[in-house]
Amino acid sequence: MFWLQLRGELWKLFGKKRTYIGFGMFLLAQNIVALVFRFSNASREMVRTLEGNSYVATYYISSLTIATIMLFPIAYMLMPLYVSLVGGDLVAKEAEDGTLRMILSRPVTRVRLLLLKWIAGALFSLLLVFALGIFGVAFAALWFPWGGMFVFIPGEVFSVFGPEEGLYHFTIAHIMLWVTAVTVMGLAFMFSCFNVKPAAATVLALSFVFLNFILMNIPFFKEIQHWFFTYHLNLWQGMLVEPILWWKVGSSLTVLVAFNITFFVIGSTAFQVRDIKS
Amino acid sequence: MIALQQLSKKFGDRWALRPLDLSVSHGEIFGLLGHNGAGKSTAIGMMLGQVWPTGGEAHICGHDVAIDRRLALHKVGAIFETPVFYDYLSGWRNLELLSQYTAPTPPARLREVIEWVGLTGREKSKVKTYSHGMRTRLALAQALLPNPELLILDEPSDGLDPEGIHEMRQTILRLRHELGLTILLSSHLLNEVEQLCTRIAVLNKGVKVFDGTLEQIRQSRHGWVRLRVGDFAAAVADLTAQQLVVDTHDGSHVVLLPGVDTDALVRRLVEQGMRVFEIVREEQTLEGFYLELMKKKETPGVPARD
Repeated sequence: MFWLQLRGELWKLFGKKRTYIGFGMFLLAQNIVALVFRFSNASREMVRTLEGNSYVATYYISSLTIATIMLFPIAYMLMPLYVSLVGGDLVAKEAEDGTLRMILSRPVTRVRLLLLKWIAGALFSLLLVFALGIFGVAFAALWFPWGGMFVFIPGEVFSVFGPEEGLYHFTIAHIMLWVTAVTVMGLAFMFSCFNVKPAAATVLALSFVFLNFILMNIPFFKEIQHWFFTYHLNLWQGMLVEPILWWKVGSSLTVLVAFNITFFVIGSTAFQVRDIKS
Repeated sequence: MIALQQLSKKFGDRWALRPLDLSVSHGEIFGLLGHNGAGKSTAIGMMLGQVWPTGGEAHICGHDVAIDRRLALHKVGAIFETPVFYDYLSGWRNLELLSQYTAPTPPARLREVIEWVGLTGREKSKVKTYSHGMRTRLALAQALLPNPELLILDEPSDGLDPEGIHEMRQTILRLRHELGLTILLSSHLLNEVEQLCTRIAVLNKGVKVFDGTLEQIRQSRHGWVRLRVGDFAAAVADLTAQQLVVDTHDGSHVVLLPGVDTDALVRRLVEQGMRVFEIVREEQTLEGFYLELMKKKETPGVPARD
C-alpha cells in the first residue's frame, strides 16, 4: 500500500513539466561550460597551475576535471534553486490547487501523506544529482579525453587524482551532494507545509540558505563557521580532497540528518494543526 | 451514518459554526442548506477531518473522526464544489492514485466505476482536455471508488449548465436507488434540494435554524388559502363568523378551520354576493420557507425548529 501510494506521488511529481526545468538547465549550463573550456583560453590558468607544480597538464585537462569544474557553480547556485522549487511545491501547490482537500477526504493520515511526499522529493533530488554527475561527465567527454582529475580552489583545495581515483572522489562527492540537495529540498518542504503559496515556500528556503551563506562568509563569523547550516551543506566539497577527513564528513552528515528531522517535524506539526479549506 | 454532537468551529474571534447537532440515517438523502459562508463547508470539513473542531464531536459510520479518522472515512466518498484534478495526468491515472489513499483498487473496479459515470472511452485522455461536466463525473468516479456507504457532496452542481445540473440530479437519485448510498448534499440550489432530499437542515451564519423533513415544511402552511375577492376584510369577517377560517396572513391569505375545504368558502362568499376572483390552496415551497428563515434574525440562543 505504501509503495503504491509512493508510486502515485512519483507520478504526480514526474508528470509535471516544471519538475524537469532543473534537468534542462543542467544540460544547458554543462554544455556551455564544456564549450567555453574547449573553445576559449579558459583552461590556460589551470595549465599554468598544473605545470607550475610539475604535472603534465594535458593529462589532467580531462573530462573528469571539466565535469568537476561544472559541478561547483551548479551545485552552489542552480541545484538549491531547483530542489527548493520542487520541495516548495510538494504540499503548497496541492493546497493551492485544491487537490489536497480531495486527498484528505480519504482515510490517509497527514503524517503519512507528508512522509510520502518527502520521500518523493528525496528521490527527485537523487535523480537530479545523478543526472548532474552523469551529464557532466558525458558532455565533458564529448570534447575532452579521459584522464586524471584536478581540483583547485585557491587557498582551499589542490587535489590531483588518477582517473580511477578521480572517478571515486567524483562519485562520493555526488553522494554527499545528494544529502545536501535533500536537506535544501526538506527546508523548502517544511515551509510548504505552512499555509503559504508554493513560490513563497521556495523563496523562504532560498533566502534561508543565502542568508546563512552570507553570514558564514562575514569575517566576524569565520571562527564559528561550523555553526552555520551552509557550512555543513558543503560537505560534498570535502570528498574532492585527499585524504578525506571522514570525521568532518561524519560530523556534517549528523548535523544535516538532524536538520532534516527538525525540518520534517516542524513541517508536519504545522501541517497537522492546519485546517484544510477550499 | 452521520452524528454531529455540539460540533463547532471558531476561526479567530469569528464563529464559523455554532454548536451543531445533526444526524443523518442510513439511506437518506439529507440536504444541508445555507447561504455562502453559512458554515456548510466548515461542517463538512470537520466531518472529513480536514478542519479541526473547536468543540463537539463528529461521528461518521459509527467512528469518531477526531479519534479514528481512518475507520470513519473508510467507506466515505466526497465531492467538492470545483472538481480539481492533476490536469497533466489522465483520468484513469487520477483515479488510480486517488483511490490508493484508501485501498489498492483493481483495474476492473476502475473500469466499472468509469462506465457507471459514463466516462468510458475518455479515461485515458488527460484531464486538462475534459469539460466541466466530465470533470464532475470524474469527481463522482473517484468518490465511488472505495465502494462508499456515505457520499458527501459539497455543492456538486456548482458551475454546471442546466443540462449538467439535471444530469447530476438524476445521478444522485441513481446513487441512492442503485447503490443504496446515504447522501449528504450541501447546496444552495433550493430546487435541487427540494427534488432530491427527504430531510434538510438549514444553516444561517453558522447557526442551525431548521432541521426537519420537507413534508414538515409543506405542512407548515397546511390549510392556507390565497383568496382574491372584492373586499378581503369583509370576506374574512364573514368567513370567521361562519367558523370557516381561523386566521389571516398578509392581507391575502386565510387559514381554513380543520375539516373545511375551499368549496365551502366559495359557496358562502357567492351566497353573500361577494365577487371571487381567485381561490388557491397554498403549499409551502422550500424557497418560500428558506427565504422566511433567512429574514428572521436568528440568535445563537434560539433553538432550531425540529
